[in-house]
Amino acid sequence: MAFLDVLMLGFSEALTPTNLMFCFIGALLGTLIGVLPGIGPTATVAILLPVTFFLPPLGALIMLAGIFYGAQYGGSTTAILVNLPGEASAVVTAIDGYQMARKGRAGAALAIAALGSFFAGTVATIALAIAGPTLSAFALSFGPAEYVALCIFGLLAATILAHGSVVKAIGMVCLGLVLGMVGIDVNSGSARMTFGSTELYDGIDFVVIAVGLFGIAEIATNLESKEIRGVLQSKIGRLWPTREEFKDSWAAVLRGTGVGTILGVLPGGGATLSAFSAYSVEKRISKTPEKFGHGAIAGVAGPEAANNAGAQASFIPLLTLGIPSNSIMAMMLGAMTIHGITPGPSVIQNQPELFWGLVASMWLGNAMLLVINLPLIGLWVKLLQIPYRLMYPAILLFCCVGVYSVSNRGFDVALVILFGILGYVLRKARCEPGPLLLGFVLGPLLETNLRRAMLLSQGDWLVFFERPISAFLLVITAAMLLTLILPTIRKNRKAAFEASED
Amino acid sequence: MSTKPAANGRDFPDILAGGVLIFLGALGLWAGRDLTYGTPAMMGPGFLPKSLCAIIALIGAIVLIKALSKPHEALDAVNLKPLLILVAAIAGFAFAAERFGFVAATIWLLVVGSLADPESRWKEIFISTAVLTTAGALLFVYGLGVQMPIWPF
Repeated sequence: MAFLDVLMLGFSEALTPTNLMFCFIGALLGTLIGVLPGIGPTATVAILLPVTFFLPPLGALIMLAGIFYGAQYGGSTTAILVNLPGEASAVVTAIDGYQMARKGRAGAALAIAALGSFFAGTVATIALAIAGPTLSAFALSFGPAEYVALCIFGLLAATILAHGSVVKAIGMVCLGLVLGMVGIDVNSGSARMTFGSTELYDGIDFVVIAVGLFGIAEIATNLESKEIRGVLQSKIGRLWPTREEFKDSWAAVLRGTGVGTILGVLPGGGATLSAFSAYSVEKRISKTPEKFGHGAIAGVAGPEAANNAGAQASFIPLLTLGIPSNSIMAMMLGAMTIHGITPGPSVIQNQPELFWGLVASMWLGNAMLLVINLPLIGLWVKLLQIPYRLMYPAILLFCCVGVYSVSNRGFDVALVILFGILGYVLRKARCEPGPLLLGFVLGPLLETNLRRAMLLSQGDWLVFFERPISAFLLVITAAMLLTLILPTIRKNRKAAFEASED
Repeated sequence: MSTKPAANGRDFPDILAGGVLIFLGALGLWAGRDLTYGTPAMMGPGFLPKSLCAIIALIGAIVLIKALSKPHEALDAVNLKPLLILVAAIAGFAFAAERFGFVAATIWLLVVGSLADPESRWKEIFISTAVLTTAGALLFVYGLGVQMPIWPF
């Protein structure tokens, strides 16, 4: 059994004491920061990214993955307890979770969320283990034309499925692509858009952009208005759900897992989209839809399972094709690049211990989350009471030292200011910075392959339609763009997102 | 979400977005003005940057023009004070880190940065700065080995 062999390999890597420790620290840090209001998982990963530079590659990835799903889970805790979703994917959890908390069933909501997430994480991890080798074997036959088509598909699909205006999001993607081209051009040796600064010859570092757009801009926006504080429901209640609650939620967990695993793989998918979709599925299927919004446990179980499955499944395109599907995966890609790993189909072949180690550690990390979250819930509740004014200086310090440590120079810290201001302005202009980050990490891959493909075809653009896989991807992309122009679908998409906002 | 149907509507966030995109696209075109464009078969270093910057500016123009006839949408309240204070704090850190070392740069960053929140109190700023500076020096400089002097001398 080859499958068992690789799983054994994965667990033998993940179960070394140091890697277990990194996994635990990651999950713990992630939960810790996810619980604190005002910092979402993207910002968390951005801020802690530089810390992992000092670790060995596998350890760094394990820790980052742990931070990611820890933050994901921590966000749900605050959503349930104080009606403050720590991040976008927990918004729907807050609807019914908080109502349950008001009825004194916070314990049950938290327990179902944890168990549902664990189950979903397990399933999505298995999906990754199965899909990984198949997809990457397929992707190994990709030539430059296919990669160009894949990048375009990934980038445009991400903008279509993401929140907000598609036109603006495409503008963000292009901006990210251009930022990725700053520095010395490898083909010609000429300095591009460096404004005469030698410090920019190596390009803009990924960490600078991530910390500026997500870290600093977020602090500035949070400080702008008075702090929003939820009202904590003092009684958490019995943790173990009743038989009735179990009965109402197990099917929702299964459906949520399915929805999340499928949507997580799509570009632009991931946790948020999965959670929203699962909630609407549950509401539509339910025999008692009037209960939703008043503490229906299925409304917690489904989205929670879905957001965890989606979060986990979004690793599939990154690890097998090298294409990140959302901004957090873009950060994972950045982290891998910094450690000298090029994410893509060759990772499974050349560094199986890395791939399988990460897969195994994800499952272990999910199990650890159960242990971290349920018994320690009292501690997390206490953390919720820390005022923002005491917290953000620490975040600021992490941001600045982290950026400095990338190449040990103050220049990068100064550059962060520019991206902080850009991020702030973009927020005011209601432009999502996520697509920018995707464009930035995919820029070099897209450009290299585009140049190569065009060189091989001697300037004939039709090459992208002569190769079947590339033609297929481009046709799907075009079809997606077309459907957006059709008024009915546009209305539905808007309605779907608006319903999710209320 | 403040969507008020006004007779003479304008979508201000979109106007801002359009303006920013046009500006950045133009800036990119200007910064890359000397780069050779090349041909599709032999792309020069300027091929993609210039094409993309043109697309960015074009998208900006579309967003801007459409925004003028969209229903009224107000900008969120803008309060630049925290942002400006943060900029000052980070700029000081960037300047001081290599020259005066971790302790001086961090104290500047934390004290000035804390002023961005009007609710901050001096006593708290003093304590948190002391704790974070010490913990930061131990964690980052000694623990993780970040290459930064600790003291100015």
